[in-house]
Amino acid sequence: MVQYSPALDIAFAAIADPTRRGILERLGQADASITDLAELFEMTLTGMKKHVQILETARLVTTQKIGRVRVCKLGPRRLDEETAWIATYQQMLNDRFDRLGRFLERTQGE
Amino acid sequence: MSAATAANPQTKVTTPSDREIRTERLFDAPRERVWRAMTEVDLIKQWWGRGNKLVVEKFELERGGHWRFVEHANDGVHGFEGRYREVTPQERLVMTFEWDGMPGYVIIETITLEDLGQRTRVVTTSLFHTTEERDGMMQAGMEGGLNESYAALDRLLASMA
Repeated sequence: MVQYSPALDIAFAAIADPTRRGILERLGQADASITDLAELFEMTLTGMKKHVQILETARLVTTQKIGRVRVCKLGPRRLDEETAWIATYQQMLNDRFDRLGRFLERTQGE
Repeated sequence: MSAATAANPQTKVTTPSDREIRTERLFDAPRERVWRAMTEVDLIKQWWGRGNKLVVEKFELERGGHWRFVEHANDGVHGFEGRYREVTPQERLVMTFEWDGMPGYVIIETITLEDLGQRTRVVTTSLFHTTEERDGMMQAGMEGGLNESYAALDRLLASMA
């Protein structure tokens, strides 16, 4: 698991996760309830609530309780293309290191 | 959590400044092997390409030299390239990193390898040159946080009165 330091900008941490980027993309099309999002991303309600909470803290998403349903929509902070690219880059870097680690393990003793 | 982020407990990501991300990683291999895996084309091809076919179009491992890797994935072709700014064998590699999909957004990667005997600590610092627009976004976020702190302080002061 990637450990983010407290100093890391919260919006950045929020979008470093591919599921959360997916949620933002989905909400860019239309508002959705936590239940809708949990179904769409094949996740438990608890898991989805956590993702939405992180996005909410970063003000990328706002939620509102309407009756018994919590509706999510895009928040006041806009995610621009460049910030998204940096988050994707960081994800790629982590993945690349994972693969390098596995490669070094695989070729041990060669 | 996705499979991609759940992979390694030995990765530490921090932000030394608002334009830098520092990624620290421990590898269970001596430094010489880690360096070779990062700098020999035949070895790079075996891990760099996310399981996809990787074509190394250019690999001039010296100061000012070009590198260009092209990944052939199911969803298309992704080109990455840059130039080397510093090559110090086994110790340090500084290069620019650019993706074809975001032309002009150059990241400077500084990779240092620390010899820990049978293990190696690799620290990558990625420096971004962000636009005013993004800085503005970050600033707006910070102001929001500050205002919230002031509001909390106000409430506290009011409750004490």
